[in-house]
Amino acid sequence: MAVDMTVKIGGEAGQGLQTVGDLLCRVCRQAGYFFLAINDYESRVRGGHNFFQVRISDSPILAPAQEVDVLVDLDGVTYTQHASELKKDAIVLCRPDQDPTQHRTLHIDFTALAKEAGNKAAQNTVAAAACLALLGAGEELCQKVVQELFGTEEEKIGAINQKALKAGFNSVAQSDLKGWDLTWEEQQTTGALLDGASTLALGAVAAGCRVGAFYPMSPATGIMTQLVQLAEHFPLVVEQAEDEIAAINMVTGANFAGCRALTATSGGGFSLMVEGIGLAATTETPLVLINAQRPGPATGLPTRTGQGDLLFTLHAAQDEFPRFVLAPATVADCFYTMQRAFHLADTYQVPVMVLVDQYLVNTSMLVMEKLEISPDAAPIPMPKPPAKPETYARFAFTENGISPRLFPCQSQALVKATGNEHTPDGHSSENRENRIAMVNKRLAKLPAMKQEQRPPLLHHEQADWLLVSWGSSYGMVYEAVEKLRAQGLDVGLAHLVDIWPLPQEPLLSLLCGRKWLLVEQNATGQLGWMLRAELGVEPEDSIFQYDGRPLEVTRIVDETVAKIGG
Amino acid sequence: MVTMEDYTSNYENQWCPGCGNFGILPAMKMAFVAQKLAPHELLLVSGIGQAGKTPHFLECNFIHALHGRALAVASGAKLANHNLNVVVNSGDGDCYGEGGNHFIHAIRRNMDLTLLVHNNQIYGLTKGQASPTTDRNMLTSIQSHGVSNRPFHPLAVALSLGAGFVARGFAGQKEQLAELIQAAMNYKGFSLIDILQPCVTFNHLNTFAWYRERAVDITTLDHDVSDRQSAMQLALEWEERIPTGILYQHEEDDFTALNPWLQQGPMLQREYNANAINDYIAGLYRI
Repeated sequence: MAVDMTVKIGGEAGQGLQTVGDLLCRVCRQAGYFFLAINDYESRVRGGHNFFQVRISDSPILAPAQEVDVLVDLDGVTYTQHASELKKDAIVLCRPDQDPTQHRTLHIDFTALAKEAGNKAAQNTVAAAACLALLGAGEELCQKVVQELFGTEEEKIGAINQKALKAGFNSVAQSDLKGWDLTWEEQQTTGALLDGASTLALGAVAAGCRVGAFYPMSPATGIMTQLVQLAEHFPLVVEQAEDEIAAINMVTGANFAGCRALTATSGGGFSLMVEGIGLAATTETPLVLINAQRPGPATGLPTRTGQGDLLFTLHAAQDEFPRFVLAPATVADCFYTMQRAFHLADTYQVPVMVLVDQYLVNTSMLVMEKLEISPDAAPIPMPKPPAKPETYARFAFTENGISPRLFPCQSQALVKATGNEHTPDGHSSENRENRIAMVNKRLAKLPAMKQEQRPPLLHHEQADWLLVSWGSSYGMVYEAVEKLRAQGLDVGLAHLVDIWPLPQEPLLSLLCGRKWLLVEQNATGQLGWMLRAELGVEPEDSIFQYDGRPLEVTRIVDETVAKIGG
Repeated sequence: MVTMEDYTSNYENQWCPGCGNFGILPAMKMAFVAQKLAPHELLLVSGIGQAGKTPHFLECNFIHALHGRALAVASGAKLANHNLNVVVNSGDGDCYGEGGNHFIHAIRRNMDLTLLVHNNQIYGLTKGQASPTTDRNMLTSIQSHGVSNRPFHPLAVALSLGAGFVARGFAGQKEQLAELIQAAMNYKGFSLIDILQPCVTFNHLNTFAWYRERAVDITTLDHDVSDRQSAMQLALEWEERIPTGILYQHEEDDFTALNPWLQQGPMLQREYNANAINDYIAGLYRI
């Protein structure tokens, strides 16, 4: 029988949910199970209600599930909040002082067992062990993973966690609960345990990124934390700036000086960076910026997810200039998108905005495919300076709008740039003809930029109905299509990853005269707005989710059935 | 041989006749020539305002950036290539107003760059509004009942943040200013020169004559340049007497020396190594 199980662990911030999750994921990885884990947390350091949810499967998965098989209640409110998500035969693990549940229940005194093991903090290991025992995992395999995470038994923390692991297993063994008999055999080869944050950072390093500057802001901080970890292995300097305005101007300074540089931010931080995007654009300095979307104007929902910044990202900064907006579809795609982003930024000397969101940044999963460095990932070397250095003009007019970009102090040729409108040699100019020529020069890059754009990702695109979506929702919409087809509905998928410039031709031939539904994680259909404006196409109807939570496969399925008839 | 002429720009100068900036421009050239720095070995970074235009009136590499953000752009350039000789031209509005946060943190960051603030105590480019350093009670088109905000004391702020090179120059004393710029550029770390710069069009209070009456060369005073307390007292002097020269100098490790990631040389010179990246990725797949 196919394995598809979901474990949900709820607790307060500070109870170590991340550790439970990490342990579960690593055991799955060793045993060759596919998994996808999401983190749902509040914007606070201690307390509140948070959960970690991992879906385990024996075939590849790209979306979280809505139905739960094992629920761990560490905070006393998890069961009440999530009872409706439980399957009929689900098992609840909760504290002894908790009220009886409507489901099969095992009362475990997590704290007492952890204290017995040596530290109250190990309650998360007790909980993880009990879950794994219910799923039929071997204790030996789990011991190995605990050692990997916490050190050997000779070390204090390692010993405590091994004891906690044992206590968790014993609790299940001493009960008469019948769990599940999944096969847990240690594999010889496996995939990588990655999340969006780490693949974004790794992609940047694969592209030869040398400088990072950022200001901490959820959910983008994790990307820069990952970058800092990579700085221990690769030539890279990461500086925490005093604010997002400093961060974007620092990366522009670094790029101007000749190094690939990255900044990542979210919501309000991105709003602060907007003027800086314009400076990069008009000085034709490459810029790669990750906007990890979170919902809401102002502070909004700092730790939650959404797709509300599409049109803002498309238009951020005054006046008009060419830019790329790329929205990776999966954790693995983040790696390739970052390499492309740097390559495109350098090639066209334009800003490249990478649009991700809290869901994608914080989602961990098993990536089976081997991540490969793209052939054009390496930084583009500085071109040869002209034989007569005094003839060099940083913004020389060319047919394709791209001027040779030298780095300051790297040759006799002088590099002059300004955020003011400027002449080809980089001096401020208010001359009317020059202004028109410079606008045209920058926009002349667009035809070639359009050619760079990948067509949408397709799945059963000949179907009667198409779902049209973009960015991180790929896995959820893909699975919804599978489920709808299994119900006998002829539904396919067209999913955009290269948002701007819009890949017009493939989209036109896909959508003209077709029946399609828009699926977005915002309230007004921003991709739909773009498609209407650019292509004159209109969806039959739309499915929007803007509650700040990951897009739900069940919602897409139910709403599609309701809208197109079953 | 590097000469003053090497720095002559063909670009039309846009400052008002008699502007204090005409004292700062030659002092910069003199300092660069004295250090035998050729134009292609120098990067000027500037913000917005009359001071921000300075790089256009010199012949060298430059990026004339956004209002208030020059220090951030300069810091980024130094992250990429800490061997660059970077001088930042900013004004009192640009640096102490719009870019105040960057001023504070650039001092704390202590990168090896030199900041010249053309402090004319007024907004020139936007035609005469009060700046953070405008004296109290001055009448302007916006502060029509007189400036009520207390003035910002840049040198005292810099000293309080632990800046290692704090100086004041005067556009009317270009030889002294040239020497200050040279000393600042030779200083390993963040160096600040706040430059008294008369605005002949909009500031009729702090004129050349007004500054001349008050400017006093610090070397004529009994002041130990390594004494931070004494420097702080001098930094706050204003109405009666304004000390010019190096108020405070103190040697300590700069950003590059303290950053382990930069010990193997500037990022710009570090090799791209695909094999190392591939090895790292392969490790992620190992059991």
